[in-house]
Amino acid sequence: MDDLSNMFFEPTRRDVLRWGVACGAAGALCHATSASTMAQDVASGLELTGPKLEGVARNEAMFWEKLDEKKVKCVLCPRECVVADVERGYCGVRENQGGKYQTLVYGALCSANVDPIEKKPLFHYQPGTTAFSIATAGCNIECKFCQNWQISQFRPEQVNSVLVTPDRLISACKARRSPTIAYTYSEPVIFYEYMHDTAALAREHGIGSVMISNGYIQEKPLRQLCKHVTGVKIDLKAFTEKFYVDSCAGELQPVLKTLEILRDIGIWLELVVLIIPTLNDSPEETKQMAEWVVKHLGPDVPMHFTRFHPTYRITNLPRTPVSTLERCRRIAFDAGVHYVYAGNVSMHPGENTYCHNCKEELIRRVGFRITFNRIADGKCPKCGTKIPGVWSQEQALAFKPRT
Amino acid sequence: MSTQSNRRRFLAQMGAAAAGMALPTSRVLAVMAGPDKRKSRVVITRDEALTHGRPAEHRDLLRKLLDAAMQRLTDAPDAASAWRQVFDHGDRVGIKVNTLGLSTQPAVVDAIVAGLRKAGVSAEKIIIWDRFDVELDAAGFTLNKSVRGAQCRGTDAERIGSGYQRQIETSGRIGSSFSRIVAEEVDALISVPVLKDHNLAGVSLGMKNFYGAIHNPNKYHDHHCDPYVSDVVSHRYIRPKWKLSICDGTRAQYNAGPGYHPGFAWPFGGLIVSTDFVAADAVAADLLDAQRKEKGLKTLADDGRPAKHIATAGTRGLGEANLARIDRIEV
Repeated sequence: MDDLSNMFFEPTRRDVLRWGVACGAAGALCHATSASTMAQDVASGLELTGPKLEGVARNEAMFWEKLDEKKVKCVLCPRECVVADVERGYCGVRENQGGKYQTLVYGALCSANVDPIEKKPLFHYQPGTTAFSIATAGCNIECKFCQNWQISQFRPEQVNSVLVTPDRLISACKARRSPTIAYTYSEPVIFYEYMHDTAALAREHGIGSVMISNGYIQEKPLRQLCKHVTGVKIDLKAFTEKFYVDSCAGELQPVLKTLEILRDIGIWLELVVLIIPTLNDSPEETKQMAEWVVKHLGPDVPMHFTRFHPTYRITNLPRTPVSTLERCRRIAFDAGVHYVYAGNVSMHPGENTYCHNCKEELIRRVGFRITFNRIADGKCPKCGTKIPGVWSQEQALAFKPRT
Repeated sequence: MSTQSNRRRFLAQMGAAAAGMALPTSRVLAVMAGPDKRKSRVVITRDEALTHGRPAEHRDLLRKLLDAAMQRLTDAPDAASAWRQVFDHGDRVGIKVNTLGLSTQPAVVDAIVAGLRKAGVSAEKIIIWDRFDVELDAAGFTLNKSVRGAQCRGTDAERIGSGYQRQIETSGRIGSSFSRIVAEEVDALISVPVLKDHNLAGVSLGMKNFYGAIHNPNKYHDHHCDPYVSDVVSHRYIRPKWKLSICDGTRAQYNAGPGYHPGFAWPFGGLIVSTDFVAADAVAADLLDAQRKEKGLKTLADDGRPAKHIATAGTRGLGEANLARIDRIEV
């Protein structure tokens, strides 16, 4: 563990001052980007000023079954909502109209920004590049700590949106020279059809796609989607059913199943765990989670333990102490995870990438910015160890599902 | 005033307070509901003529039926007195209709507005509302956003997303933004649901109707919408303001709701009226179950979708859910 000492250092006064300046800058950046994800600020300046939606878009949904009495069963996500005529599913963006299930958000973008890929966060996927990041309204779970609840927990007619077809989105992405489209902010599974079609078309145009998701999706649509996307980040909210039920209105097991399917498919995957004081921060839970990751996904799947800030329906808990994130990192390293990060703590050494073999510092990050990247040909320049990840656009676009 | 008399008065007040606390809230509501001190009162008013033609053809009849129901509900000597027992002339009244699937009939709402006018409520203080302008329009209501006459508009009316409060309100297990109409613009509420079935909640009646007051009803349909319906109507924006339930049974649906299925339509031809909104729903649900049995269908409970939210509301003291303790009056 000696080689990890620089990742868990005691900060000096100079370090603290350096952090202060950097955090101020990062804070300003975060404020700007989070504000721009608000529904009122749709895609301004991103060549996406399409027709403003009055009402909702309507397209036939994928992955549903007909039932009697004009009811339908949605088989896109594990909820399997049975939806009567004129009603909507839990996500609020799929509606039964006369026995046919429709998506109301195909191309109905309520947020669009060009973000650093590090903001997703994806640390082993073309670091230093940008992702053209989009979202529609809606989500298929309800996290009481959601940072984007102004769009994820509202229905499409309640937020300002513009209609953007997949080809127009790709044109805008090209104009911004982003190698990647990120489906993010709310929950891309609920705008599956649009993500699916856009990702397929984007590949034809040499653009990759990453899904930033809660992993609440069924196997068939997931496998279908992975024919087109080139990377995935999953929010693993916790490692107990209680947390998923009480704090997210969801279940843990379907998410774990998704992770195993992604492992089988072989797509690039990173995990984020938002650590919330008293709710999912026990060392035992972190240990069980990390051990599960190593056993079922392998040691090369990066884990990001990120800092909670009070928001939405959890405003009575404090921010996560940095020491808690550091403890999570130690536990995960001890469990055998090769790449473990601390998130939402700018300038912390836990945001940097170190070779898992020789501990050489490979990538240094300040907020979402890369100050250096020493990885060459996907390897550590010091010991030659192959560093897991997607390090070029060619590599991203060459991905094909293993199974 | 001596210390002793203060102490005596204090003890007397404590005794009265304890007695009040021991009294179930449902009983308090029952006392408020009418002159019968023992039971909540629910009035069912029907007329064969309503089962023929369109409800709009029976506007006068609907007014007479509703006034008669209000008189019976309150034991008032005339219709105006009856309406005045429930509404103050200064009230700003929100009439929450239901336009999803089989819709509240505009003719029924006309009768309600006429009744409110008898209580001295000016038309300008009345808002007929639901979630969307487009749904109100499709249901046959004439939108009115002017300052003259009773307004008729959806929460999502002026522009997208404008009609809900920005903050999230928590009530029990729900966390929702409420319609500004219910939160800020009215101080008295009338729920006017349709007598109809619901595939998840069992029934969609007066309490479930207020799912239309929150921005995210889609999040609260698990577990037969229970306890979420009670959570919604318990909120300070609704419970203290809710004066009257008038269930529109001119056209009813006893199965496969809330979407309209002509095969399960039922010309009930009447209204179900109560100041106890839980009792009104309990009686209406019982009527739906009776109709289902008559048509050879399973009861809602046997069909795996009991109207649990009504029982929960009763347990929580929001009103009377026990049919044996409800005074069901047919006029």
